Amino acid sequence: MAHWAHRGRQFFLIALLMAAAVTGFASSVAAHPHVWATVRSEIVFGPDHKITGIRHAWTFDEFYTAMAVQGLDGNGDGVYSKEELEPLAKVNVDSLKEFAYFTFVRLDGDEKFLPLKPPVDYWVEYDDTVLTLHFTLPLETPLDPSDKVVTIDVYDPSFFVAFGFAEKAPVKVAGSPAAGCTANVDTPDPESAEAARALSEAFFSQLGPGSDYGSQFAQTVMVKCTPQ
Amino acid sequence: MKRSFAGATFLLGLAMVILGAHAAAAQSPPSAFGPPAGQQAAPPAFSAPPKTVPPKAAPLQARGPLGGVLGWVAQTQQKMQRQLATAVKRLKSGNALSAGLLLAGLSFGYGIVHAVGPGHGKAIISSYVIANEETVRRGILISFLAAGLQALTAVALVSLLLVALNATGFQVNAWVNQLETVSYGLIALVGLYLLVTELIRLWRRWHPATEAAHDHEHHHHDHHGHDHAEGEACNHIVDARDIAGPLSWKKVLAVVVSVGIRPCSGAVLVLIFALTQGLFWAGVAATFAMAFGTAITVAVLATMALGSRELALKLGGDDSRWVDAVWTTCAIGGALVVLSIGLLLFAASLGPARPF
Repeated sequence: MAHWAHRGRQFFLIALLMAAAVTGFASSVAAHPHVWATVRSEIVFGPDHKITGIRHAWTFDEFYTAMAVQGLDGNGDGVYSKEELEPLAKVNVDSLKEFAYFTFVRLDGDEKFLPLKPPVDYWVEYDDTVLTLHFTLPLETPLDPSDKVVTIDVYDPSFFVAFGFAEKAPVKVAGSPAAGCTANVDTPDPESAEAARALSEAFFSQLGPGSDYGSQFAQTVMVKCTPQ
Repeated sequence: MKRSFAGATFLLGLAMVILGAHAAAAQSPPSAFGPPAGQQAAPPAFSAPPKTVPPKAAPLQARGPLGGVLGWVAQTQQKMQRQLATAVKRLKSGNALSAGLLLAGLSFGYGIVHAVGPGHGKAIISSYVIANEETVRRGILISFLAAGLQALTAVALVSLLLVALNATGFQVNAWVNQLETVSYGLIALVGLYLLVTELIRLWRRWHPATEAAHDHEHHHHDHHGHDHAEGEACNHIVDARDIAGPLSWKKVLAVVVSVGIRPCSGAVLVLIFALTQGLFWAGVAATFAMAFGTAITVAVLATMALGSRELALKLGGDDSRWVDAVWTTCAIGGALVVLSIGLLLFAASLGPARPF
């Protein structure tokens, strides 16, 4: 009898410790942001009213800016010229590839994200306080938005960088969109079924080893060109 | 506790910001207290001509049941980081004493909140202390040593690379990443070492090769029973420490070095920012104030871990087999956690270089 009671407690203890270990994992892998970026995006439309790409402007916080420009004033004149900052833009956009440009485009309801091509027209802008990275991400194949809503998420899954859309003019359409096309940052309706699903997904991403931890902070741009 | 401290820091910061507002008006970032970005059209009377005000991001919001808390932690960090930046700048232009105090207070608070995230050895140190027969006092000591070493590493790295060698910020970043990998590798080794020693101890106990080893373990075992008959769980730790003796100092050092060799990226950012403002010493002071804050968070968690082990020991009452099972489970479980976190983070740190 006593032996079995002992066994039971042993199992209980092991379960307890495993729970503690899982919690430890979650908190140790769940990242916290070190860099903040304010996002402004333009959805670029081609002449045929298809989405050809996304033009981003990401403004970084002062601390990251200080780190990024440190040592780049090559001639030491106290001014960071466009030439001096060019390598920075190149390093940034080149290494963005491994992170899918932190930009996730898909047709609403689809599972798969659409492939993006390496950035074009990239440069950084420095106003002595903060740095803004400008670049355009072309879609591999232009996307027709007339049937379905297009969603664009900008986030860092590891949450090392906290991306947030600007409070003012976060997103707009550019080029030649069809009449009536709108782009807005979506504020999810907490009552919807979609939100309920997201809720349970988020719950697990908060517990599990957080490779996708940042997704719960993602804000979604909805591009609507569909007839109402 | 933490929230009320952050609140106090916030209020202190608010008071300071109001006092020193004239000094910061020209260049202040969009801080929590500053005017909203949209107000630039109607600048206060003392404001300098408006530069292009950087865009301000909407507050982060996380979904899910823990979303509110997580969002709050992230948001608070950003707020604190912005205040830190303002405080460093104010050192140049405003009242140096108040700005210095503000900087120290903010760094301390930032450290406390920052340590809630990974990379400060919370999980490692907590697991280590429960896996080993460590006291609360030693847990606190280890937390402070590790945080202090992290601060030293950050200061040494930035001084050497930026002040002495005039390297770029990205080179510093690359070094931070290298040291991170080394740190995680060392953590995995420490975990492996703990696991192997514990397994050897168990094996010796179940397969007594020599009478001496058997006697020793037997004595140890008896002691457990005795202590708990008196309901004195603490005595056990004192005894165990005597048995662990000088060897455990080597282990303590190994844990401290493996965690502390990796500079905290938050501290590196503050140091570089202070350097670009021509106030490196302020960055150094802030780094140590920050380390003090992280040490407190880590120490609290390590103490909680030890507390739960004590609780688990007490659950067994005077059952010596229970006590023995708790110790063994803690020792093996703790070692496994240290080993697997080390391996996991080591593998993750070998990934592609981050763009930012």
